[in-house]
Formats: sequence, C-alpha cells, structure tokens
Amino acid sequence: MNALRGLENLGRGTVRAVEEVGYLGALLAESLYWLFVGPFRKQPVRVEAVFQQMRQVGVNAVPIVLMLAFGVGVMLAIQGIHTMKTFGAESKVVIGIALSVTREFSSLIVGILVAGRSGSAMAARIGTMVVNQEIDALRVIGINPVRYLVAPALVALLIVVPALTVLADIAALFGGAVYTSLDVGISLAAYAQDTADVLTVDDVMQGVNKAFVFAVLIALIGAANGFGATGGAEGVGKVTTRSVVMSISAIVMADMLFTFFLTR
Amino acid sequence: MQHAITERQGASVLSLGGEIDLSNSPQARKLILAEIKAGNTLAIDLSGVSYIDSSGIASLVEGYQKAKSGGSRFGLVAVSEPAMKVLKLARLDQVFPLFASVDDFLV
Amino acid sequence: MNSEREAVIRVRDLVTHYGERQILKGVSLDVHAGEIMVIMGGSGSGKSTFLRFLLGLHQPTSGSIELLGQDITQLDSQGMYELRKKMGVSFQGGALFNSMTVGENVQLPLREHTELDDATIEIMSRLKLELVNLGGFDRLMPAQLSGGMVKRAALARAIAMDPRLLFFDEPSAGLDPVVSAELDELILKLRDALNMTIVVVTHELDSAFKIADRITVLDQGDILLVGTVEEVRNSDNRRVQDLLNRRPREEVIDPDAYMARLTDTPLNEL
Repeated sequence: MNALRGLENLGRGTVRAVEEVGYLGALLAESLYWLFVGPFRKQPVRVEAVFQQMRQVGVNAVPIVLMLAFGVGVMLAIQGIHTMKTFGAESKVVIGIALSVTREFSSLIVGILVAGRSGSAMAARIGTMVVNQEIDALRVIGINPVRYLVAPALVALLIVVPALTVLADIAALFGGAVYTSLDVGISLAAYAQDTADVLTVDDVMQGVNKAFVFAVLIALIGAANGFGATGGAEGVGKVTTRSVVMSISAIVMADMLFTFFLTR
Repeated sequence: MQHAITERQGASVLSLGGEIDLSNSPQARKLILAEIKAGNTLAIDLSGVSYIDSSGIASLVEGYQKAKSGGSRFGLVAVSEPAMKVLKLARLDQVFPLFASVDDFLV
Repeated sequence: MNSEREAVIRVRDLVTHYGERQILKGVSLDVHAGEIMVIMGGSGSGKSTFLRFLLGLHQPTSGSIELLGQDITQLDSQGMYELRKKMGVSFQGGALFNSMTVGENVQLPLREHTELDDATIEIMSRLKLELVNLGGFDRLMPAQLSGGMVKRAALARAIAMDPRLLFFDEPSAGLDPVVSAELDELILKLRDALNMTIVVVTHELDSAFKIADRITVLDQGDILLVGTVEEVRNSDNRRVQDLLNRRPREEVIDPDAYMARLTDTPLNEL
C-alpha cells in the first residue's frame, strides 16, 4: 500500500517536473516570438525596458561581482599554492588559477549572484503583479505579459550575465595575482605574462557560453515562478524563495553537464 | 469626419462634421494648430458633429491653449448636442468660449 | 423595447470548470447597447468567474461569448487585440501598475494602441482623471492614493480609450458610502454622455438598484433571474428574496451525508 503510494507520488512528481520544464520551454518560445515577430505586429518589445533591466541587473551588480570574484581569485591562489607546495611547484599555480577562473568560477559566481539578486526580484515583481491583478490588467489592455515583462528581462540578462562574467574573470585573476605575488614573490607583471601565455580564447569563451545558458535559466525560472504565484504576499514570498533555489540548482546542474561535455 | 475651412470677416471658420475619433482626430488637430500658428482668429463650427471622443476634445483643448498663449481669438460655434454632452461631462462647457453662431462669434 | 436593441454582449450556454468542479452551468445572457447591466450574486455564485470569462481571460469548457459581434472563444490573438481597444476594465482592487505614476497608468492603453501626439495623450489622460475627480493627481504613485482614489484612477484608465464596453468589478467594495455613491453617479454619467455599455459585477444591493437598467442574479453558477430593478424587487423566487433580504441560505440537511462529512467516513460504512 505504502509502496504504491510512494510510486504514485513519484509519478506525480515526475509529471509536475516535466510540466514545469515544458512551461519554461513555452515561455522561452513566446519570448523569442515577441522579440522577432512582435515588431511586425506593432507590438514590439520595449527597448527602454531592456535598458532599465540592464541597469538594475548589471550595473548595480558590478561592485559586488568585483568583490566576490576578487575573493574567489585569492581563495584559489591560497589553495593552489598549498597544493603545489607538495610538489615544490608553487609557481605553476598561475595555470590553475587562470583556467579554473575563466572556465568555471567566474560564470558560476556571477550566475549564482544574479539568480539571487535578479531572478528573485523578477519572481517577486511578477508574483506581486499576479496577486494584484496587474497581469490581468495588462492582458485586458491587450499587452501580452510575456512580451512586456519576460522578453526585456531575457534580453537584458543575455547581455549582462556574460559581460559580468568577463568582468569577474578580470577581478578574480587580479585577486589571484595579488595573493600570489605576496606569497610566492612573482611580480604582477610576470604573473600577467604567464596568464596571457596559458589562457586561450576558448577558455574565456567556455565561461561566457555558460553565462548565456545561465542567463536564460535565471530569466525563465524567475518568470515562471512569478506567474505561478497565488494567495497574497505569502504566496509571493514562497515563489521568490523557490525561484532562487530552483535557478541555483539549475545553474549548478547545467554547469556540470557543460563542463562534462566541453572538458573531456 | 468632414472638414472645411472658410474665411469670414478676417476670421477662419473650421467646420468639422461627422464622427471625430482616434482615427481622425490627429487630422483635426493639425488643421486647428495650423490656423493658430498662422495667428488667425479661429471659430470651430461643431454643428455637424455626431460623435466626438476624448482625443478630439483633447485637440480642441490644445488648440484653445495655444490660441490663448499666442493671443489670438478662439471659439466653438454651434456645438451639436452629442458634442455638448461630452464637453459637459468634462465640465469644459465652462471653459471654452461658446457661441450660438458664427455671427455671434464675429460680433 | 429592450429586445429590439442591438445586443453587444451575447453569451450562450456558457459552461466553465475550475479543475474538476463546474462553476458556470450553462449561462446565457444578452446585454444591449447603452445598457447598464448589473450582475449580482452572493460569494460563490460564480459572478466573478463570469466576468473573467467575459473579459476573455480564460477559455470556457463550452458555449460562446460574443462581444460586439465577435465570438471571443473563437477569435485569434490579433482579433482579440483589436477588440480589446474597445473594452475597458476596472478591477476590484484597481490593479494599477505600481511602478508607474497615476498619469502613466491612464496613458498606457493610449500609448499601446494609438499613435496620437504626446500632447494629445497627456491632455486625454488628464481629462479622464478630471472626470473621476482626480485632477492634479497624475504625478502621484498609486501607493500614495487612498482606496477610493485607486478605484477612481482605475476607472480613468479603463475609459482611457473611450471604450464601447466597460466592465466594472465591485465598484463599491471597501469604499465608504459617500465615495461609492459618487462612483455610482459617475457610472451613470459615463453611460449618458459617452453611450457606453456597462457591465457591473457587485454584491452591493443599494448600488445595484441605483445604477442598473437590468439586473442578472447569479446563484451557484446558474442564472436565477434577469430583469429590471422592479422585476427583481418583486420576484417571488426564494433565493432572490434571500439575497435581497440578506437572509442566509437554508439548505435541507441530509443527516447521513452530514455525519459522513463530519466524521470523514464513507457513507456506506456509517
């Protein structure tokens, strides 16, 4: 009896998960539709909204991104030097920092940060609009909510998350350089030279490409949770939390798959 | 919307007729503003208006404001009943100079 | 006289479900041009649901809804977009966009649907705010308005495009009697001057009797009665009278089923 119920719950959970992924896909398709077809139907995606989102999501996040990325760079340097000491190859730490920052950590840190800052804000904003009937009001005015709210955010994130990732690359490499120069005694110039020697465009692009995927995940998961809000302020709080947990999980899973296929 | 501009004793008389709505109020606005920009005394004859929406009313308001600031005379003439209802709803009957006929306006 | 007038809203056999539960059980209704139709009913009567379907926010299970001659259950999105230019809606809580000023709220439909000059759009939006006695409030944010002001601003937005159809959800809910009386006056004035067809959903009897040309009484997803104010007042239908006299509904109790519900035991095991 219990086994049956467990199986039933599992089945129901699976159906819900598949539905949810389907909904995200539909949101993406609809956003792309409005981006490309909207202008021909005299219902374009508003450019001002894109810029406004870019400012909120991007520009305002720059200080915290710089700080976190710098910290990650320092942390990688400490761990790297500690590990390399065993082999007496402390100076090789530069390669480790350069590759793990560009290929992995920058995009991941930026993704998680933007998910926490902006994905949640999007879920909260749309959720509040659902609860206040503002979404209904948009629809009866004839303004498609996906076109008005989701598409601009998607575009903004697609521009901002990769840009922040490159910025984070620079800050993290700088953090690594500062610590390494203090601890091992490599000059900043020599560190920069070594980094330039080992880094290829592919390494940087791996991080940037991940950032594009993370941007899409954050936008869609934030929006989907927002539209799913029910029952007042408490409901909005619930979907906001849910959107953060879901988008960070999705980012980590996507990162894992990405790394698996690109690194082997 | 039908429209015609005639001149009487140095004043322009713009006659508007039919339905003034979103589709043609920009045209009415252009006609009104052009007359005012030329510094003409302007009487707008609304006797033939069967319907006027708020975009039409907004054009009249803008015209009156421009005429006032430009120092030229402006008046609404022989306002039809449907148009008057809308003016009254917005209490604009107490704002616009209203005249029963073009002759009254010219006195 | 009513039957000769053009029906601008024509609903036929509307059946809707919420999940498994049937909410509207085959509703048919005509609303004539220039008429104020009040849809009344207690909570759970289906009146709010009915409104949401009239607005084309959901697809019904079956039945048709014609607005201005077009069946919105069949209409494609472009057709619906065009039709929405002729409809205005004032929601119960106002549903003003909180990120915009009151003026921008009223301007939004105009900016979306017309290519009018900025000066025209701004004068139009201020005109509408004057109509609802909110002249000079266009630069405030919705959060700075009182409940009654939010409702009036929402009405100003609803009539921004001079719509032929105006839908009004619970105009007097949560308002003090004076403000709600003012709103009633305004609804009557709008109909008279702009010849709008107005559908008002409410549970307030006083307001309904004051503004309605005809009243539709909904109860548990069915239409109990459609008639003039007099006809509704004089109806000998018990549920209508219960509603008018604010009597709680008395249901005949099936003792066994009641016990079964209370104890959560299947009926046959009781």
